[in-house]
Amino acid sequence: MRNVRREVMALLGISLLPGVSMAQGIPGTPGTKPAAKPVINPPPTAKDWADIAKLPDWSGVWTHVRSDQDRQMKTNPPPWNEKAAKVIEWQYAEERAGRPPPLFQNCLPEAMPAWMLVTHNAMEFAFYPGRVLMLGESDSARLRRIYTDGRGHTDDPDPTFHGESIGKWDGENLQVDTIAMHPQNYIAISEAQGIPNGGDMHIKERMYLAKPDVWADEMTITAPKVLTKPWVTTRIYYRQRLRRLDIVEGTCLEGYFKPAADKDGYPTWEKVSHDPYGNRTPPK
Amino acid sequence: MNLSLRKIVLASLLTLGAYPVAAHHATTMFDHAKVVTINGVVKEVHWTNPHVGIYVDVASKDGGEAALWVIEMTSPGNLVRAGGWTRNAVKPGDKVVIDMAPLRDGKKGGALKKVTIADSGKVLTADIRAQERANLEQEAPAK
Repeated sequence: MRNVRREVMALLGISLLPGVSMAQGIPGTPGTKPAAKPVINPPPTAKDWADIAKLPDWSGVWTHVRSDQDRQMKTNPPPWNEKAAKVIEWQYAEERAGRPPPLFQNCLPEAMPAWMLVTHNAMEFAFYPGRVLMLGESDSARLRRIYTDGRGHTDDPDPTFHGESIGKWDGENLQVDTIAMHPQNYIAISEAQGIPNGGDMHIKERMYLAKPDVWADEMTITAPKVLTKPWVTTRIYYRQRLRRLDIVEGTCLEGYFKPAADKDGYPTWEKVSHDPYGNRTPPK
Repeated sequence: MNLSLRKIVLASLLTLGAYPVAAHHATTMFDHAKVVTINGVVKEVHWTNPHVGIYVDVASKDGGEAALWVIEMTSPGNLVRAGGWTRNAVKPGDKVVIDMAPLRDGKKGGALKKVTIADSGKVLTADIRAQERANLEQEAPAK
């Protein structure tokens, strides 16, 4: 009876659903295009959690290897195009003169791929059914989500600091494909040498344990606006298990303030002046 | 002298690997080929990301003016991993001797190389390369 009434009302042009007009059609009505089934993230099953246990052990805190970053500045520089190479040359000259170009002074995320290339801070991984999370210390909002639930890239994703990362486990390797990064994101080889990628950047990564306690990220960076060909570089991190060395909170802007009291005596933050290079301004 | 500079020495190229490194910027605004040493009393410690800062009052000496210096370091997490640091390792009121790479522009600031706390004799550095190996937990605890 209810269905008969619904069909009659539909024929009369009366919608049973607030906001649904006849132009949109009534779901289930002949001739109406069925709505696409919404895609959901299903709740993890016991098997999903059990499968997590079969993945490589990336637990612990991972610390960067600064000396390797420095070494690669000379041994494996990016294949900069002519314009970018001139900027890099100028940046080196500025640094030699004691004026290191401040690439990361505004507390925005170092972003992909710079934060994998030149970070000076530790990170850790979190495995969750359908995704791998990379959680960093300091470097502002240092968080990457790598989806491993079988999805592909979305259509025309919004550009972001860390891009859209799709991962797939290949044995002991996590293969990651990243697109949709802000054109402002630096391809950086140090905190004073780097060029904004300019757009259309595409990064492929193979993440793996090179040794039991050495994690490696082999990156292939394609950036047609600033590189003449894809650049392949591998960055390594060392595992630490000492609890004393656990990741600590690292809010970048914190350093631009110091504890103080407001007019009523309540704790507050007072701004601390900094020079253009990011150091606290020496008192006069 | 308007500050208690005890020594300015040229370091050898071998010391280049001991740069204290900040989290978000290169550090060549500091002259790493020099070491400036100050004696003073800690006024403030900013145990904050991305860089820890220590303000040190340096008393007048030989008729010169007293001065307040600011010493920059790397992040709290990196200092802890470098060994020996906590947020109270250096605190206001401590008498300290600080070796730093001075700012090239001559202002009263520098990048920490070493701090010695006068009362305890404890020495702390800020070399993040001190953590460049795996399994630090398997080594002797930091002193």
